[in-house]
Amino acid sequence: MTTEPTETTNENEEWEPRIVAYCCNWCSYAGADLAGTSRIQYPTNARILRVNCTGRLSPEFILAALDMGADGVLVSGCHPGDCHYTSGNLKARARWAMMETAIEQAGVDPRRVRLQWASASEAQLFADGVREITEQVKELGPIRSEWK
Amino acid sequence: MAQASSCWGCFQSLIDIHMNLATVLPALEIKFWVCVVDYKLADLEGYPDKSIAVGLFEGVVRTEEDLHLLKTMRAKCQTLISFGSCSCFGGIPGLANFSDIEECLDVKFRENKTVSGGEVPSENVPAILPVIKPNHDYVDFDIFLPGCPPTSKLILTAVTALLKGEPIELEPHTVCHYCDREKKDTPVEKILRPFDGNADPDRCLLEQGYICVGSATWGLCEGLCVNMGSTCRGCYGPPPPIMQDQGANAMSMLGTYAPLPPEEIKEQVKDPLGLFNRFTYATSHLGSIRIKREEAKKK
Repeated sequence: MTTEPTETTNENEEWEPRIVAYCCNWCSYAGADLAGTSRIQYPTNARILRVNCTGRLSPEFILAALDMGADGVLVSGCHPGDCHYTSGNLKARARWAMMETAIEQAGVDPRRVRLQWASASEAQLFADGVREITEQVKELGPIRSEWK
Repeated sequence: MAQASSCWGCFQSLIDIHMNLATVLPALEIKFWVCVVDYKLADLEGYPDKSIAVGLFEGVVRTEEDLHLLKTMRAKCQTLISFGSCSCFGGIPGLANFSDIEECLDVKFRENKTVSGGEVPSENVPAILPVIKPNHDYVDFDIFLPGCPPTSKLILTAVTALLKGEPIELEPHTVCHYCDREKKDTPVEKILRPFDGNADPDRCLLEQGYICVGSATWGLCEGLCVNMGSTCRGCYGPPPPIMQDQGANAMSMLGTYAPLPPEEIKEQVKDPLGLFNRFTYATSHLGSIRIKREEAKKK
């Protein structure tokens, strides 16, 4: 996987966090859709990427996103026990436990990443999650500011 | 053949091809190999560019002298081989990036337990670079030959192919391919530390709960450790494409095998970064973030 940094935004512009949101197809992506059709307002910083299941996510996707300059990463899936593929989200949760510690060890603030569970009917929960990580990341500032 | 900051283990493994040296050595003219033949750095610098057919570079760039040596080797050699895991991925010395350079200097020199009034040496030794970057960030390599150390058999295969002018053919399989233990595809019930209990000698170590990163590791060793009863630590780095993130893959693998509650995993896996990226921290994503941050500090 290449990690060529993406285009930097003009520094003079007011900084807005860029957040990558991985949503599972069966619960959170539908939840995000419902948030849209229900006209629930939430920050536009999250770029939603649909994956079939959170169990499809290797920690590499999340770490590569941070390495390429994403200010935060949100992973949203079905509630434990409700996975469309039986146990995909349990695997994601186990990986997350290790990845969270690893991120901290590497000196990256673990508040830049968030794992949440939101079902297809929980549009408000999804929107709240996006708002929360956006606020957290805004407090921390751009990830690139630590690199320059 | 040149050595930067490393333990000489890879060259030792090269010498360990024993009787085969008798066939290999007459075919070579050694132009530079400190400790083995009496050429100095000045001799290497004096050769015309691209005048050496093959160069082996062992070790990681930790000092300014290492960097100079690496760049000189690149200039003088037609084919430059990244020899061993330190040279390919940063290896064990790459773990120094866990701490910032001042902390490293404190432990090593200033507050060294066996020295009183220690200070960082500044005379007659090359300056230490602030952060360990993987060698391939400084120069391009033609061939990567990982391993800690690369087995003598692997080295012999590579050297023989080079002497014949053929490409080096390496199998892309992971360590599991060579492991003789029985797999039942059962999930891990409890993650065990290496000192917990006695392992069944015939079953997959990972399925028993011992963390083995063989499935995320290139099997050029042909399963040496796992077949001897020890878990794989991942010294050959990830399988091709070899610059993928081995640690992330290993975490992904363990999560699949052990879908346990997070508290249990955090309790048993105390040091995921050091465990899964033991040899590849410098080339991993998290390592790359750390390097960028340390470099920024120096500016």
